[in-house]
Parts: sequence; structure tokens; C-alpha cells
Amino acid sequence: MAKIHLDHISRVEGHGALTVTLAEDRIQDVKLNLFEGMRGFESVVLGRSYAEVPAIIERICAICSAGHAVTAHMAVEKAMGIQVTQQTKLLRELAFMGMTIESHALHIFALALPDFLGYAGITDMSVDHPETVRLALEVKKTGNLVQEVVGGRAVHNVNMTIGGFGVLPSKEAVANLREKLSEALEAVDGVVDLLSGLSIPTYQGEPILFKAVKPAEGFGFFGDTVAFSDGTEFPVEAYKTSFHETRIEHSHAKQSTRGGEPFMVGALARINLFGHLLTGKAAEVLRTLSIPVPSTNAIYNNLAQVVELVYALERASAICDRLLTEGIQPEDPVGFEVRPGTGTVATEAPRGTLYHSFSLDEEGRVTAADVITPTALNQASAEKEIALVGKSHFSSGEDRLKELFEVTVRAYDPCISCSVHLIKADGSAKSTLQKKVIG
Amino acid sequence: MSKPRIGIYGLTSCAGDQLVLLNCEDELLDVLSAVDLRSFVMATSQNPEGELDVAFVEGAVTQDSDLELLRDVRTRSKLLIAIGTCAVWGGIPYLSGRGVPISQHVKVDYSLPGCPIEKKQLLSALSSLIHGDLPLKLPYPVCLECTIRENSCLLQAGEICCGPLTAGGCGARCPSHNRPCLGCRGPSLDPNYQAATKILAKHGYDVEDVHRKLALFSGTNSSKEGRQVG
Repeated sequence: MAKIHLDHISRVEGHGALTVTLAEDRIQDVKLNLFEGMRGFESVVLGRSYAEVPAIIERICAICSAGHAVTAHMAVEKAMGIQVTQQTKLLRELAFMGMTIESHALHIFALALPDFLGYAGITDMSVDHPETVRLALEVKKTGNLVQEVVGGRAVHNVNMTIGGFGVLPSKEAVANLREKLSEALEAVDGVVDLLSGLSIPTYQGEPILFKAVKPAEGFGFFGDTVAFSDGTEFPVEAYKTSFHETRIEHSHAKQSTRGGEPFMVGALARINLFGHLLTGKAAEVLRTLSIPVPSTNAIYNNLAQVVELVYALERASAICDRLLTEGIQPEDPVGFEVRPGTGTVATEAPRGTLYHSFSLDEEGRVTAADVITPTALNQASAEKEIALVGKSHFSSGEDRLKELFEVTVRAYDPCISCSVHLIKADGSAKSTLQKKVIG
Repeated sequence: MSKPRIGIYGLTSCAGDQLVLLNCEDELLDVLSAVDLRSFVMATSQNPEGELDVAFVEGAVTQDSDLELLRDVRTRSKLLIAIGTCAVWGGIPYLSGRGVPISQHVKVDYSLPGCPIEKKQLLSALSSLIHGDLPLKLPYPVCLECTIRENSCLLQAGEICCGPLTAGGCGARCPSHNRPCLGCRGPSLDPNYQAATKILAKHGYDVEDVHRKLALFSGTNSSKEGRQVG
């Protein structure tokens, strides 16, 4: 039986392979193997103080480290019943937007666009499209600048702390950000025409089950409820009953389904579920890009990210405006008492729903930890869509199929380090080495 | 002078050090056009591989496929440079008992530690290499950079700060944000052990308290006095 094999999928984060087995007249089997090595974050946080959790957990991933950092802080604070100030919430959301801008810009322009314009990567694309690449890099840089100003570093922030921030950004820094955000918004506007003209591969799709955190207000990435496109909703704490995780042999990441059915998370899921809540330029761009809703084609996730890139730029601008109007209050992190409890939080990271759940004992030491990442959630969905793409294009020959499979996987913008971090843990998983080192 | 043939590789990691290169938005295209890029799977689908002048390797060795790739890259490269604390010291995978630094398996010619590495550190190393020179080594600890910035001392304020024993080069990022140094860059090349011990003792800490903190990024390597990077 013929097999199509990609042994290291390029232009994605981390190590992933794909094997598609072809029978004479159909796709027999699809196996997405996320083979990044395991780093055992579980044994590292267990027994450590709550205060150390965010700095360890944010290192699960570089591209979305700010998302892990914000989510981990929120989960630890929830476990101990800590209420942070409105200003802290706004600054965290600003850092989150910075991450979304950088992550989406990196994926749209440097990782995905070369497929649609026929290049191997951004360097050779820049020869024929210097202006597009220049604008794309400017936008990406703005996302990093936001993270640097709020988090003190673009990758693995240093400034967030339980209860607040180490140092607050200056008014001048926020005003400068505001200007750069306007320029970035203009830059994106300048390439929307190019993006709306891209030809997205079509295939005979089936209705996709989408899932996203239901935004607390308007369109957004934070909330206490998770919604599926089948109409069901769950409080974030009930995540274990809302979908089912299983270990599979062919991948280092666990696979998730809802009642046996794969589901998709990420920009396309958010646009499908809550795109009608978008306002401003983002709503306009959604119309210009004519993303079908409900979508039956996962590859449109690339364009859904463009809409969200605009949303994140607008939302970051609005937060800066508010900080500048109201003034940045010189506040210290809020005081708190260490107490036992469990905190579970879900946010919408660039690639989809991200769950963090931590349990702490009386001394604030971690007794259980669970992190579920979007790429792991998307694994089953990606395999299903690859099979559908293969079915529709079966007669196009192996080379074309290979290309299409790669385009489909890439559309999910997988972050494989995230998916294979392996964190679900209880006290029994502590390693011998760790016992030796931290006692 | 012909362009140096370079390859950029990731073993088990968060890809943060490769991302730092992609985050050099102002310099990226210039840097990539000054070299003959033979491999960078995270950024391009055209990777001719072959003989290399310099290989940059991020991440720890946690599985057979990491080791195979690492050995293959070593045999093809004149210089092999470890980028990031996972590659240099094992990082978080080492602490969990799952990974080891790449120097346990192959000869490493040069190390750029950091979690992640700093843009300046990377660009200056690339620039030296492109011009046929070796990167500079930074012998001083974070504490020195912190003092130069005239930050108020967090040790003095009662926090365990790893600055006295941690490799400099980050401009004392954490203490400059009023946050104690976590030791993410691993042990300093040449720490003044006696002085650091004295400072710590003055504030009521044993040097072992700092080693316990440092162990998060450099495993048991940090407790070996005089163990050198690079």
C-alpha cells in the first residue's frame, strides 16, 4: 500500500511528521505524529512554590509564552482567591494581544504565505515581494514590542508576578506603543487586498465542530465558559467532562475528542462562534476576506488569523488609550495570604483554548498540575481534515497530495512543543533527580 | 570570502532560541543574505543540508531522534554552537530527568546560554562568525550588570537572587524589573565564589539556597564550582 510520508514538517514550531496511507481508491489512514521530545514539566512544578509556577510553565512554549504566563498567573491567583486590580488585568491583556500580534503575523506571513505565493520561506519570498515582507516584519516587531514593554522580554516575560507586575510601563513607553500599533494597523490594511486574493485550496468538507472560550464581553480571549458549535456550554472548571483525552500510540501528544468526534480550536473556531461580535476594522476585514461561516474548510484558519491580527491591534490600541487617559497608577502587586485551593482557567491562545489547572496545599506548594494546549486539542481534527483533503484530491497525484497535506497541517499553525509538554501530574510523578535537587 | 554555510537546528525545546533569530525583524533579511543558509526547518521548506561551517543547535537531547540529528549535524559541521540553556546545560528537561546538555554527546565548540538567548548576543556572535572570527565570551555574572545599572539590590531586600552566580549578558533583565534573577542563563564562567558566598551569608542565605534555584535551569551542573560554559 502506498504511503505519503513527511518526516519533518517545515515552517511550523517543533517536530511533527505525517504518514498518510493510500489504498487503491481511497485514503486508508492518517497519522499525525507530534514527536517532539517530552520535557516533563509535571515533575518540575510538583512540590515547588506557587511563586515559581508561572516562570516554569511559560517555558512550555516560546511563541505563546505570554499566553502561558498570563494563564498561569490567573490560575494560581484563582487557587488562592487573589483579586488583582483592573490595571493589572488590562496590562496582562495587552501583553496577550502583543503575543497574538506576533504569533499571527509570524504564521500568516512567514510560515503560511510562502505556500500561497510559491516560495520556500520568507527569505526567497522577500526577493519578489520586498514591500509585503517589510510590512509583515514591522507588524511582527510591534507585537514583540508590546510584549517587551509589558513583560520585560519578548520571549519568556520577566515582569509579571502573582498579584501584579514588578515594574509598570512608563506613560512614554505606552504612548510610543500606541503610535507603533497605528502604523502596524495601517501596514496590515495595506496587505489585506493581497491576502483576500489568495486562492485557498478547496475540498469537499464536512461540518466542523468548533470550540472556544465564550468571551466575557464582546469578542475576546478571556471568559469563564467554554462553548462548542453544537450549542453546548461548560464552565471552564468542567473541562474534563466537556471532552475526552486519550493517549495514542503514534504521537507524543494526547488526542482529544467530544463524544468520539474531533473538534477544532483556534482563530477559525473563534470567528465561527463569535465573529459576529467583532466591531471596527476587524469586522470590515472579516467581510473583505469573505470567510465562509459556518466553515467546512480548516485551511481558512489562515485568513481567520488575519481578522484576529486586526482585532488584536485594535484591542491593544484601545487598552493603550485607556491607560493613557486614566493614567498608569503606581501600584504594587496586591497583597495576599497563601492558602490551599485549586484554580482552573481557560484562555484563547493564538492556536486555541489553553487550560491551566493547579492545586496548592496550605504552604502554597503544587500538589497537582494540568495543562492542556490547543495543538493537542487540534490533533484529531487535523487528521480528519487531512483525510477529507486527500479524498477530494485523491487523483491529483502524490506530489500534489503531499503539498496539500502540508498546507492543511500548517493551517492549524501547530505549536508542537506546547502539545508534547506532558504536564498532567499528581504527587507520584516526582522524579528521583528532582527529589535530589529540590528535596 | 564566500558566505559561511550555516544550519539552525532544534532538538527538544520550546524553540525560543530559534524564535529569537526570527524576532530580529530589523536584521533578519540582512543576516540571512550574508550566509548560505543550509537548514532552518522552522522557517523554510528548502533545506539542502550537506557540509556546514557553523551549526547552531537549540534544545536538550531527550530521545533517540534528537541524538541522531545531533550526531549527524556534528559530523557535517566545522563549528557547533549550543544556543540556549537547554542545549548548554540541559535546562528544564534536565531537571525532570528527561534530557541532557548536548555536550554530553558531542563536542561543543561554543555556547550561547540564555532562556532564551539575547538578540544582541546572537547577532554579535553571528557577526563575528560571518567575518571569520569567534564570538566573545562574557566572563562576568548578572550581578555586575545589575550594579552597573544601579538597581537596588534584591538580596539586600531579602529575596534570593541568583545574580552573583549567573552568567551575564542579559543586562540584568529580571532585577531591573524588580524581580530576582532566576539563573536562566546558567552558571557564570568565572563567578567570584567567595565574594558571592559572603554576600549571601550576609543576607542569611547559604550558597546552596542559590544552587537550588539555579538547578531549575542548569540541573546539578550549577553546584560544581568552577564548571565552565563554553
